Amino acid sequence: MSPQFLTLASKNDKVEDKSPRDPSSPTPALVPSLRIMDIKNLSFSYGETPALENISFPLYENKITAIIGPSGCGKSTLLRTINRIFDLYPEQKAQGEIFFAGRNILSSETDTAWLRKKIGMVFQKPTPFPMTIFDNVAYGIKLYEKLTPKGLAMRVEKALRDAALWDEVKDHLRASGQSLSGGQQQRLCIARALAVEPEILLLDEPTSALDPIATEKIEALITELKNHYTIVIVTHNLQQAARVSDYVAFLYMGKLIEFDVAWKLFENPTNEQTKNYVAGRFG
Amino acid sequence: MSFHYQRRIWTNRLFTFFAAASATIGISLLLIILFRIFSEGISAFSFDTFTRTTPSPGGEGGLINAIVGSLMMSALAMIIAIPVGLLGGVYLAEYDRKSKLSSVVRFLNDILLSAPSICFGMFAYEIMVRPMHRFSGYAGAVALAFIAIPVILRTTEDMLILVPNQLREAAAALGAPIWHIVATISFQTVRHGIITGLLLAFARIAGETAPLLFTALNNQFWNIPMDGPTPNLPVTIYQLALSPYPNWHRLAWAGAMIITLVVLSLNIVTRLMTDRAIKKRA
Repeated sequence: MSPQFLTLASKNDKVEDKSPRDPSSPTPALVPSLRIMDIKNLSFSYGETPALENISFPLYENKITAIIGPSGCGKSTLLRTINRIFDLYPEQKAQGEIFFAGRNILSSETDTAWLRKKIGMVFQKPTPFPMTIFDNVAYGIKLYEKLTPKGLAMRVEKALRDAALWDEVKDHLRASGQSLSGGQQQRLCIARALAVEPEILLLDEPTSALDPIATEKIEALITELKNHYTIVIVTHNLQQAARVSDYVAFLYMGKLIEFDVAWKLFENPTNEQTKNYVAGRFG
Repeated sequence: MSFHYQRRIWTNRLFTFFAAASATIGISLLLIILFRIFSEGISAFSFDTFTRTTPSPGGEGGLINAIVGSLMMSALAMIIAIPVGLLGGVYLAEYDRKSKLSSVVRFLNDILLSAPSICFGMFAYEIMVRPMHRFSGYAGAVALAFIAIPVILRTTEDMLILVPNQLREAAAALGAPIWHIVATISFQTVRHGIITGLLLAFARIAGETAPLLFTALNNQFWNIPMDGPTPNLPVTIYQLALSPYPNWHRLAWAGAMIITLVVLSLNIVTRLMTDRAIKKRA
């Protein structure tokens, strides 16, 4: 991490909650951590249609940040800005700054291949590639590294273990990735993202296409993964956000209404709109 | 029962009847043609067909030089057309779906798809035969390639568009560049469809006569390499059929059967392939 970035991280750290919570509550106080990313005055538009307006909030290292809000509020758009996947569509434009690893990643000088190696993404619908389970996981590794077959096999195994899928697939790594169940496919996609050793993992409603049991497995996995990765999860499921996240950003109509520690935002939101949304009065 | 309900039933019956009748007419015409070609062709078929070259006037012979000439020209045409068609399809489907340039290219390609095949022969005559001062199999192959290119381009684009965007985004999210995504993900996803398109393009040009009339011309002897007039099956059939000799007529039937068999089996193979691909996905 560059020195420039460290100074950025230590300033204005107001949102970080350092005081212990009510001792009678089971939720432990958050251990403070560094800002790994800083989103500053981010705006986004699809052609002429604005989708995000002036969004600023940080991401903390090894924490899970949930982005919540009603449909169409810009949750996914925000996520798609962080790894610049929107670059695929020329009419989509982002303005503002996202600081990561000492640079503004929205600048045209940023190498998107580098960026996407550092910031992995998993989509709403499982997206196994039309190839074997092994090749699915090896796909990203092969883009960046030339490994011996043995070295590659070890990396694939590690990624599959980290994604809690190894025991279920180790005997048929040569089977098609598309032959797995929905939940397994989604964990395969997580393994594929982890295999290139990112620092941040973006999850775009990763469980909305899955049944409750598969969802439970993925949530357990996400909680496990935060020991090694910084995670951003978009979800329309408030319970899920409450279960897994450390921080929550509430978006409404393209604006950031509130960003806070999860329990605070859910139990004692400062903003009226947040209060109504969390209470289930709209959305 | 109400009048309206009655009328609906009768309209439905009438409609079903006309649809079935039209289908019957279409299919039976095809069957009559096939039956005639096969019955005449089989009786004309002999060992000589595959061992001897086309006969001199009144004499006996086979079709081997024409078969080989046709295969060589079609193969060369495919070698020219496959890269152009595939890359053109990739451009329209993967790099530029919406711009003015791509819509113009798409429109022109659709025109080429339905242009009379003799136009391609004339074009090849102008750019190959005239400057080189001779008919040649190469000019024939170029004419056939121009027929195959729009077919391949169109099927490639149509197939690549079927690839879900989520797959492209998933690969891009790992940092893969677009050409890499096309080569490893898009083509892989729809390879059956693209191979089908290639086979159909081959079937299409294998039976083309008009573009060869004044490019490859024809030849009753061997012509390898294809510099100079080159024997080919469609024009040979045409000439044999117009001749006054009954044994030449029989040879024309044999040739017609060979082309029909090739085109028919290519179509059946592609059908089986797409069926299997669809079943696999379902």
